[in-house]
Amino acid sequence: MNAGAAQERRDADNSAFDFASVQDRIQSEVQRAIQRSIKGVEYFSTSGPMLGSTPKDVLHARGTMNLYHYRPLANEVYRVPVLIVMATTNRGYILDMVPGMSFIEFLLKRGYDVYMLDWTAPRPEERSLAMEDYVLDFIPDCVRRVQEDSGEQDVSVIGYCFGGVLSLLYGSIFNEGPMKNLICFTTPVDFREMKLFANFADRRYFDVDRLIDSVGNMPPEMILSSFEMLRPASRTVSQIQLWENIWNDEYVKSYRMFDRWATDILPLAGEYFRGITKDLMWDNKLYNGTMTVGGRKADIADIKVPILHAVAEHDHIVPYEAAKHLIPRVASTDKEEVMLKGGHVSLVAGPNAVKRLWPKLDTWLAGRST
Amino acid sequence: MADKKSSDPVALWQQMIGEMEKGFNAFANKAMVSPEFSRVLNQAGGLTAGAQKQFGDLMEKYLVSMNLPSRAQMIGVADRLQSIEGQLNEVKAMLHQMNKGAAQGAVAGTPRPPRTRQPPSSGGEKK
Repeated sequence: MNAGAAQERRDADNSAFDFASVQDRIQSEVQRAIQRSIKGVEYFSTSGPMLGSTPKDVLHARGTMNLYHYRPLANEVYRVPVLIVMATTNRGYILDMVPGMSFIEFLLKRGYDVYMLDWTAPRPEERSLAMEDYVLDFIPDCVRRVQEDSGEQDVSVIGYCFGGVLSLLYGSIFNEGPMKNLICFTTPVDFREMKLFANFADRRYFDVDRLIDSVGNMPPEMILSSFEMLRPASRTVSQIQLWENIWNDEYVKSYRMFDRWATDILPLAGEYFRGITKDLMWDNKLYNGTMTVGGRKADIADIKVPILHAVAEHDHIVPYEAAKHLIPRVASTDKEEVMLKGGHVSLVAGPNAVKRLWPKLDTWLAGRST
Repeated sequence: MADKKSSDPVALWQQMIGEMEKGFNAFANKAMVSPEFSRVLNQAGGLTAGAQKQFGDLMEKYLVSMNLPSRAQMIGVADRLQSIEGQLNEVKAMLHQMNKGAAQGAVAGTPRPPRTRQPPSSGGEKK
């Protein structure tokens, strides 16, 4: 009897608690619904935050290639300049979002002299650009210009995603310098382990020659679709989440920044894409140590400079299995792999990166930049 | 705290959406690693690419007949703009170099910071 009464009282207490809680929740949801309507109109009638606004000069531009020099923000800089090599599918402003969320700004304030090799969409007549143009021409040309502009022989190179692959190939071939340090973010080596991409590009069904011969450059829509297919539900869910959080200015700002970047995909030069498919996706030459670029051997085992590889714990684009071979393979004695929380993008940009990757990189690079 | 969260319908809804997303992605990823998926995807992709190319050619002819600029002509204009931009950049770079030279000659300019920075000591922050 007593136990039954106690249970009834507990039930009564719980229902009273729930009732008050639900009332509060309804009130808060009504307020949010009103805010959503107002902010929803604002969302469609305004543009997103201005990205990539850290002051910079175009040091050189040639076709698809742009070399920027960012204006220093410190009174004293490290001797060794830093060249960032962006992934060829994406725009460099992911590393230069808004003030306070900009990796570039962070580096400048920490006293680095920063250059970036960024890409624009290759034009139809640039369809013949191949891997050798990127590795034996564009990167060496930029390194030479950084040397000239800074007056320093040594250059540190940071490569993000496929920019990391290009940097690795460059570092393998030009292993006697002038690259002094190499930092790779989420860089794949074993392309078989990018299982979905490997399946999309299955040589039995994917006729890359026919595709490139008919379209010229690889269309950005196809690249975007292949990225989105890795997580097919995520786009819809992110839009639902945007609607739920549209009352929250910070959430909307962040959503707009990342959404704009994620959908702002560059086409890839036809021959370059053909080479990536055949040499890396099909023959896995980087992993097998049989890669050549323009007839020159490009084996990552020839890299001797200090190297840091940052990988993300929840990277759905470059899974750890695809990236883990980099550090064991290089000949460098000063080498480190660091796995940080986050995904392929949140590793390098956003609040997670501010807290984790950026300070780690600064600690590692500062002592190697004098 | 846990009780409060479990009785919050909005939190439950968000949790459900998150779980559905994970579940659907995992299910789709399983399906997408099959060779059959690759075959169907590439068949469809090949057809789309072919159709896209044919449509592009047709559109080009249509635009010419309507006396409108074709894509090739727009690309031509873009090329010229890019070339002008390139030349402007060269002028900027030359001005920058001249500025640098002037700064070295003790004339007003934007001198660069010295490359003498040292890493912070293990205990303290370098400013």
